[in-house]
Amino acid sequence: MGPLVVNEIISENTNLLLAFFIGIGFGFVLEQAGFSSSRKLAGMFYGYDTVVLKVFFTGAITAMLGLLFFSLFGWVDLNLVYVNETYLTSAILGGVIMGVGFIAGGFCPGTSFCGAAIGKLDAWMFIGGLFIGVFIFAEGFPLWEDLYMANFMGYPRISEFFGLTEGITALFVILAAVAMFWVGEWAEKKFPREEY
Amino acid sequence: MNKITYTPRVITAAVILILGFIIAAVPKNTTTPFKLTPNQILNELKNGNQYLEPDMIAQMIVEKNPSLQLIDVRPQSEFEKFSLPGAINIPIDNILSPEYTDILHQDVMTNVFYANGTTHANEAWMLVRQLGYLNNYVLRGGLNYWAETIMNPQHPANTSPDDELARYDFRMGASQALGGGALTTSAPADAPSASLPKPKPQGKKKKVAGGCS
Amino acid sequence: MNPYLAGVLLGLVVLASNVISGRGLGASGAVKSAIVAGVETIAPGHAESAPFYKKFGDSHNGNPLNNWLVYEMLGVIVGGFVSGAMSRRLTWRVEHSPKITSKRRLAFALAGGILFGIGSQFGRGCTSGSALSGMAVLSLGGFISMAAIFGTAFAFAYFFRKNWI
Repeated sequence: MGPLVVNEIISENTNLLLAFFIGIGFGFVLEQAGFSSSRKLAGMFYGYDTVVLKVFFTGAITAMLGLLFFSLFGWVDLNLVYVNETYLTSAILGGVIMGVGFIAGGFCPGTSFCGAAIGKLDAWMFIGGLFIGVFIFAEGFPLWEDLYMANFMGYPRISEFFGLTEGITALFVILAAVAMFWVGEWAEKKFPREEY
Repeated sequence: MNKITYTPRVITAAVILILGFIIAAVPKNTTTPFKLTPNQILNELKNGNQYLEPDMIAQMIVEKNPSLQLIDVRPQSEFEKFSLPGAINIPIDNILSPEYTDILHQDVMTNVFYANGTTHANEAWMLVRQLGYLNNYVLRGGLNYWAETIMNPQHPANTSPDDELARYDFRMGASQALGGGALTTSAPADAPSASLPKPKPQGKKKKVAGGCS
Repeated sequence: MNPYLAGVLLGLVVLASNVISGRGLGASGAVKSAIVAGVETIAPGHAESAPFYKKFGDSHNGNPLNNWLVYEMLGVIVGGFVSGAMSRRLTWRVEHSPKITSKRRLAFALAGGILFGIGSQFGRGCTSGSALSGMAVLSLGGFISMAAIFGTAFAFAYFFRKNWI
């Protein structure tokens, strides 16, 4: 059955319309979770507020379990779902640059649009920065094209990489997340901050 | 003993752990058998699913697409005389040798078999397909057709439809980029450049778009 | 909202996106589309010659703004606004630690945005596109991005502590 658009159950234009509604859901949940506040987001890295950790991992695990169970029931064909490509060098390099950007700017792209929607001026500045950053990358692209294309590994799933079944990999991710939730709540008690 | 308090964390952890154990315990939903029956292969052969068009391959070579792996199935002596850029040589006699299993049985690269015609490449494809390996294809028409279409494209009649002219332009550009062929351009005199227009998307199956790019 | 409940809802959004469109969420891709559209409008000649824009044009047809991620991000703005309105959080303000000035906060936000813009292109997606959605489909790249983003942020947290605590 799924994914609907790949199996041509819905048209390309319906897909774009549904993208808008999916976006509304995304923005609503991010804002309700408090992700429109940069101090809440940054709190994770100092232990006073680990809401990012909780929402992020609960979200990833819910979607992961949902996809695996849907696939089990035959509702979605996982072979047709997009798996992000892996270019090892640039994935690590990009992640490191984004990590510094995260702790300096206090937002990530998705949450900055959310913050901007409710009037956070720092989020507007962050979005301005995003545009400048992407523009810099685009203009200098020939300089780092080789780096960008280095160490292509295809579209591997982590389960294939370790030679495990998808279900067992999922279980390991869940165990890791449960441990992190526990550490997170411990850290919130250990490094409390007054209301901010 | 501590009393268990039902905080949201404990509830969430319990639910995802239970679901995690279930999903780890059940076998993966594999409805497709690993090996294909002769009938299935015959069907794929009849539909020509294994063929990739020379235009598409030329485009991938020019773009240095990292997922393309050309495999020359002719004998080594012929491979050494001429081969396509980036191709590796696996003579058809050795195709089942275990040292090549890693190359043929994987899901990263798009393997494209070629020989002078299509017979040997098709044989190679059928052998690996029968083992259930995916991502192996055959260059349509082999090297002979490649030489006709990509390296020395014929100028279509001026009355031809636009996309035929565009395809000719593309082939001219590709053959120059690949260092072969004639040096004429399709449009008289004022043709600006031999840039590569994108060939029409090939293949029946829709490709999944995605990612943040 | 309780973070775990929010997480489950977020997961359902990612799941819906995968089941409907066969892909995960994203954010930085929409910025990229906007940049390409802007360059194509202002300097069409440059957009045709510079490799980055050419590459984008090769893999996308038609108007760069007619893109799944662009519609999705428009939805994010609407969704965030509705949520903020419901919870009475709609105010123009600069949020910062009492120990630093607004100006400093804005400067760091801009710098962080620039870095995130560059990094998201190298990483082929940001926290939502690469890390969150990638993890949902068990993509190796998603886990690498996630580890690199959060690991680096933890490692550098000490140097930026004055801004936040």
